[in-house]
Amino acid sequence: MTELRRVFNYFTNNLDRISGYMLEHLILIVIAIALSIGLWVSLGILVRSNKKAADSVLGLGSLIMAIPSVAIYGILVSIPGLGLSRQSAVIALVLYSMLPILRNVYVSLNEVDKSILEAAKGMGMSDRQILRKVQLPLALPVILAGVRVATVMMVGIGTLAVYIGERNLGVLIEQGLKRSRSDMIIVGAILVTVFVVVIDFFIGWLESAAVSEGIKSDEGSKAGGEN
Amino acid sequence: MGVERLFVIIQEQGISLIQRHLYLVFVSLFFAIIIALPIGILVTRPPFNRKINQILSFLNTAQGVPSLAVVAIFLPLMGVGVRPAIFALSIYALLPIARNTVAAIKGLDPDVLEAAKGMGLSKKEVLLKVELPLATPIIVAGIQTATIFTVGTATIAHLIGAGGLGRLIFTGIAMNSPEFILAGSLMAAAIAITLDQLLGLFQRRVKRKFGG
Repeated sequence: MTELRRVFNYFTNNLDRISGYMLEHLILIVIAIALSIGLWVSLGILVRSNKKAADSVLGLGSLIMAIPSVAIYGILVSIPGLGLSRQSAVIALVLYSMLPILRNVYVSLNEVDKSILEAAKGMGMSDRQILRKVQLPLALPVILAGVRVATVMMVGIGTLAVYIGERNLGVLIEQGLKRSRSDMIIVGAILVTVFVVVIDFFIGWLESAAVSEGIKSDEGSKAGGEN
Repeated sequence: MGVERLFVIIQEQGISLIQRHLYLVFVSLFFAIIIALPIGILVTRPPFNRKINQILSFLNTAQGVPSLAVVAIFLPLMGVGVRPAIFALSIYALLPIARNTVAAIKGLDPDVLEAAKGMGLSKKEVLLKVELPLATPIIVAGIQTATIFTVGTATIAHLIGAGGLGRLIFTGIAMNSPEFILAGSLMAAAIAITLDQLLGLFQRRVKRKFGG
């Protein structure tokens, strides 16, 4: 019981610091996810009709995914010019989001029904118009599902970035482990978990808000996928 | 940074740290598999199967809990050392295995199950001779995911005193020594990529054998 009280006290006594950490965590994720979407969605569009190129970039993505996040951080900070900096953290997160976003963009763009594309062409649309007005809107639910997977992963991997100089919610766990302060560890673990769940929920909500009513019924649910 | 020093570090500490790392990974995976498979199967049977979608989304969400949080929480619970690390790693690894087991059995064609029942197979026979063989490729994919996660999370296990390759990386960061960081990172990456490729190969063979 006293333990529970200590946890609670730590939380209430440090609200200022904790909200600062939370903001830092959020900033890191927002920067990384914005860059990732720009980069990997464009790359996905670029390779959409080139199976060979798509296979090799997806292969690279899954190779990166296999590397432990601590190892990626370690390799990045050893590169002169990067070091213990926010750049290293952001680059790592962007690299990790390659597979979930790129794969979903590529797969969903290629899954669009051929007869729909045929119809669009028959209406006199250019390739560019077909991409922007037909393929991308139809692919949006699956693309967002990939973004969701990537974001959730980033929150977790971002926690570890405290070891390369970030000051986010992971600090509570890092300091708690270093000083054997269980109250800090417990507060940190609970907060990052809540943070992940809230962000997951938020993007799920965004998904349902952003997707056109007409295609919601059958596309939305097959999200996630195997990874 | 000295490449020579990098090799010296790998030579002197590499083998024992890799051994410890693999020990953590395989013991944890063993526990994860023997716990996750029965749980996964149980979830697809009545009365649990009515809640199957909720259970799946719970497993998906739980997977999102940062590995650092899972590892760290075992320090107040069990103290430091190899035992709490294996506990944490096992729990983290059983999520993808359980999820894939549930998803694989749930995703089977109902017609196939109907046909098996029509041939007079008992429930147990349907499970052992139809459902599990057909679900095997996806279950193996879950084990592959779990293995990769565990190799990564095991680097963090150093923080609760379990040793492994994380020691080189975290010591390197503390001492500001790129050689240490790089030695640990490269070895951890090599282990992860090797295991991933091997399991991918295995998974494709399983898929061919059971026809996926």
